[in-house]
Amino acid sequence: MKLNSPQALEEWKASLAETGKAGVSLPRVRVCAGTGCLANGSAKVKAAFEAEAAARGMALGIDFAAESTGCHGFCERGPLVVIEPGEILYEKVKPEDVREIFEKTLLGKEIVSRLQYRDPNTKKAARTAGEIPFYARQERLVLERCGEVNPFEIADAVRHGAYLGLARALSLEPAEIVSIVKESGLRGRGGGGFPTGAKWESASKASGRHRFVIANGDEGDPGAFMDRSLMEGDPHSVLEGMIIGAYAVGARKGFLYVRAEYPLAVKALQEAIRQAKERGLLGRDILGSGLDFDLEVCRGGGAFVCGESSALMASIEGRAGEPRVKYIRSTERGLWNCPTVLNNVETWANVPRIVLNGPAWFRSMGTEKSPGTKIFSLVGKVKNSGLVEIPMGTTLRTIIEDIGGGVLKNRAFKAVQTGGPSGGCLPASALDLPVDFDALVASGSMMGSGGMIVMDERTCMVDLARYFIDFLAEESCGKCTPCREGLKALQRILRDLCSGRGRPGDGKRLEALGKALGDTALCGLGQTAPNPVLSVLRHFPEEIAEHESEHFCRAGACKGMYWPEIDPSKCVGCGACRKACAAGAIRGDIRTPHVVDRSLCVTCGACLEACPFSAIRPVRREAQA
Amino acid sequence: MIDILIDGQTVSVEPGTTVLEAARLAGIRIPTLCDHEGLAPEGNCRLCSVEVTERGRTRVAMSCMYPVNREGIEVRTDTDRVRTARRFVLQMLADRNPNAPVLQELCAEYGVTPAPAAEIEPELCIRCGRCVRACETNGTSALSFAGRGWGREVTPPFHEASPDCIGCLSCADVCPTGRITWEEKNGKRTIWGKTFDLAECENCHEFYATVEQLLVAGADPESARLCPRCRRIAQQERLRLGSRKD
Repeated sequence: MKLNSPQALEEWKASLAETGKAGVSLPRVRVCAGTGCLANGSAKVKAAFEAEAAARGMALGIDFAAESTGCHGFCERGPLVVIEPGEILYEKVKPEDVREIFEKTLLGKEIVSRLQYRDPNTKKAARTAGEIPFYARQERLVLERCGEVNPFEIADAVRHGAYLGLARALSLEPAEIVSIVKESGLRGRGGGGFPTGAKWESASKASGRHRFVIANGDEGDPGAFMDRSLMEGDPHSVLEGMIIGAYAVGARKGFLYVRAEYPLAVKALQEAIRQAKERGLLGRDILGSGLDFDLEVCRGGGAFVCGESSALMASIEGRAGEPRVKYIRSTERGLWNCPTVLNNVETWANVPRIVLNGPAWFRSMGTEKSPGTKIFSLVGKVKNSGLVEIPMGTTLRTIIEDIGGGVLKNRAFKAVQTGGPSGGCLPASALDLPVDFDALVASGSMMGSGGMIVMDERTCMVDLARYFIDFLAEESCGKCTPCREGLKALQRILRDLCSGRGRPGDGKRLEALGKALGDTALCGLGQTAPNPVLSVLRHFPEEIAEHESEHFCRAGACKGMYWPEIDPSKCVGCGACRKACAAGAIRGDIRTPHVVDRSLCVTCGACLEACPFSAIRPVRREAQA
Repeated sequence: MIDILIDGQTVSVEPGTTVLEAARLAGIRIPTLCDHEGLAPEGNCRLCSVEVTERGRTRVAMSCMYPVNREGIEVRTDTDRVRTARRFVLQMLADRNPNAPVLQELCAEYGVTPAPAAEIEPELCIRCGRCVRACETNGTSALSFAGRGWGREVTPPFHEASPDCIGCLSCADVCPTGRITWEEKNGKRTIWGKTFDLAECENCHEFYATVEQLLVAGADPESARLCPRCRRIAQQERLRLGSRKD
């Protein structure tokens, strides 16, 4: 059935709400089918619920519903299952648990306490997601439907409010929408933070017969999965934003550029496009307004640089994914030299909400210069990892300590890496920094697309810089000299530093090379490539100095650059290190302090990791040059 | 016409002129490597950097691609920041290609000492892509870049003799370092692993083109028996004889 007016959409939504309630609320389980939970076997959990219902003679969809939803965000605890009514949350659910959940919770209103989330610090069980600090401190605005709806069912999205923003947009003039987005202060969520409204305005004023809109879903930062979860869990939000954008700037065709490593996101988007077309929300004469707009999914080949806008456009055009010099902006000459608006998928998903609720509502969240919320993927050495959406301006401390539950094994926090390979590391002294575009840049990092990697004392900052430079050297397209040759030069110095071949002055050399590289590289990837190194130099100069002059790694991460030493006053003789040591270099009787035999130790670091009492620490080697 | 200020000199140029072209008009020399007058600029060698101030913002920009599209652009071609940027680019290129004459000259001018890492084989290719662009401009597109990052290299597809290559030597002609070499003997030319038969001029007996080149140019190799020079002479001769008849 095609919807031929905004009223038809409202009526359809109203009719869906009716069937949803069906008098008393229907017992319903929502099984997370995001990539993380699927990998942990959530498809089998959902099948087990359906089989259990069938065995009890309950008709699916009438007496009972089991839905696969997008990512709930708490991936580490997956597979996640939410039981309605009551919003009861269970974690790490296995198919074997299903019968008990059915009997006790669905039929008996009793909680299966062993499947509940327990606070790692207080051991208190949480009944619903809202009781868990991980969720309680979040503001799920863009992610509101992620984990709530079945991403493969447009009716589910519409029931929860999808396309209402589009209906409102179509009642406005295109220029009015551009000014709403401008007033809202929305900034690009892909990392750069460019004002979205200014971009739209420039494209709408540029001359050209054709115009395009593009969604950048080529998320490639190590440890980042915000865009993937959004595309998988609520593809209609992205579509709706793009349709509104197309109407605002006058585009008739749009592309969703998604990396091929995200097959579920591709599938969800393609199905969403098909269903939206079927309903007259996409294609010719959208909602009877006369607007024609079509969308196509383009799969990227997995090159990191294709997340850069001009390389992405080259890739869509069928050329090698390499950036071009952008002294003329894409909004004037982008895809096939036509005016093009390219936004990150999260930026697009913000648009329908802004149009529906108005710029003042949007500005009521976040900070003055960075309004709204931002989705982060919180990973690394943190107790609760996963997808979090918070108002801009939330401090790093709130994110890491309250939402993240603090550092794993209660070790000391050392640094947090934001912004992926283009970003930087921030030390403990930056924990009270409010997270917004400008504050992060001022402290030597950047927002990036939203990756947030927490590190503890066992992370060597020089080794971390080496890791990111290795990644970038591998992903550099090689088109311009600074990035192609400069990253290799940085890599050579960093590899030397991490293998005991550091030389005095290496830090200075890194700084000079890094600054020149950033000044001269062609595209955003190259210009920001030295950031991981420069931020380590700025915030952790002592570690660079120890690596270059003393060949000492205080984190015990760089092989051959320390000795593990057991503190006899802390060692209880549990034997954990002895068992972990593959070289047989640790000796000691049970319940007496152990010792390391340096003639056998290969400094793999396994004992440092294994000791539950932090009794082993890396010390300088005596005969070091 | 638009006015632009370069190192204190005002230059008037057509809109869309690049800063590099404007500087040349003013007699200011900016070093370049990937730039070639016959090819579309690509801005990849990053040597021609200058400092551009526009709308209150100063940044390092590549003069070969920066367009002069509005009044009020101010350019400085010889600041510390510019010299540091150029020295960095030269250092990076010379460390890998220490034997390239063009780099040796520029290094001497900018006071850069090539310091190649021991484990790196000296090369002659600076990946400026002039050859690739020349081949594309000719319509042959037999050459392209393969690989990425440090491993980026110029090659015909799959490192094989390309069916599209016509052996015209345009790539070698535009190469700034002399990396692209070829061989000619006994009426045959070999380049990029492919050997071509050369057409011989009936008059001067010079080998003047490959048979494939003649085909691409639309000439019939059977009737194209004279090299371009001899053909022009013969044509003039015919015209002279013809006019005498009248």
